[in-house]
Amino acid sequence: MSEPAKITLEVQRYHPEQDSGPRWQRYTVPYTAEMSVLEGLQYIKDHLDGSLTFRWSCRMAICGSCGCMIDGEPELACHVFLRDYAPGPVRVAALDHFPIQRDLVIDHSDFLEKLETVHSYLIPAEERTPADGTHRQTPQAMADYYDYAQCINCLLCYAACPQYGWHPDFAGPAALALLQRYNLDDRDGGHRLRERVIDAEQGVWGCTLVGYCSEVCPKGVDPARAINQNKAGSAARYLLGWWRPGRRRGEDRE
Amino acid sequence: MSRPPVYRPSMRGWWQRHPAYRRYLLREGSSALLAAYALWLLAGLVSLAAGEAAYERWRELHGNPWVFGVHLAALLAALYHAVTWFRLLPLTLPALRWGGRRITDRTLVRGAWLTYVALSVGVWLYLLGGVR
Repeated sequence: MSEPAKITLEVQRYHPEQDSGPRWQRYTVPYTAEMSVLEGLQYIKDHLDGSLTFRWSCRMAICGSCGCMIDGEPELACHVFLRDYAPGPVRVAALDHFPIQRDLVIDHSDFLEKLETVHSYLIPAEERTPADGTHRQTPQAMADYYDYAQCINCLLCYAACPQYGWHPDFAGPAALALLQRYNLDDRDGGHRLRERVIDAEQGVWGCTLVGYCSEVCPKGVDPARAINQNKAGSAARYLLGWWRPGRRRGEDRE
Repeated sequence: MSRPPVYRPSMRGWWQRHPAYRRYLLREGSSALLAAYALWLLAGLVSLAAGEAAYERWRELHGNPWVFGVHLAALLAALYHAVTWFRLLPLTLPALRWGGRRITDRTLVRGAWLTYVALSVGVWLYLLGGVR
């Protein structure tokens, strides 16, 4: 039997107890045509270096855990194949714009805090009880937000967004796309609550439409569209706020 | 026990990291040339208000090869900016429907270009009529 093909992976390492900053380490990994980059990392951990640290779970682009920079592009490691980078070296680094905790593991607590602020859940427009039965809607109404509902919180869009890199207080693509998912739901009545997030400086106005977030999304969410669809409405609210006394700058909200 | 320190990556040289960032800078940068051209036109208006001699001096400046070059660059920047502007237009609009069917991005962009061309031709015809 012939020797399996080999590829070189250059992996970013950072162990805070010994490293002052990230460094690169090379590994040579045998691969087959169906092996993903994630499987390459797993091979390293199992056979070459047990100290390599990375997140993963589902291996099929559903859980959103294994996001990292692969040759400079934000990717899910389970979603790209080693064969496409052969013979390497292919560079695997932690997701851009996030604090690195260890090797490829980033600290995503900032995103989780933002997610809590955007009210990304259904706030029923009419009061309902379980006795009212299923809260149904038409397929056409669902089509309005379906794409935005596909977000898996993998944070590739944050790694693609230079505005988030410059201004970490910007709510960011995924949080605002999930906000839009519920705003577009015809059963929802939480618009006014979400306007505060949208209209804030860290809301949609933090986006300058670089557009790379939508290019890297592995689920076709298009956060750039979700964000920029809100700018006309937000600008109108701002202008009307100056016109109408008592409505200025959201004074009437709650 | 305190948590181990995290490493915070810097943004130095961020625009070198991906062609998408350079395309973005080019798109935004093209508006600087458009602004410069608007200022040039404003200078023309001011010199017109200042009198015939000042206006003629402003007009003569157009013969300078440097001024011509900047005008050419501003024209290219305006065209590039228009192309990118129309391409991004659908991202700023809510989902529009016609007869129950969603209008595609392509249709919106084509519609915007058609409107732009129609308006340009209209202005052009108006100016031609004015000259006659």
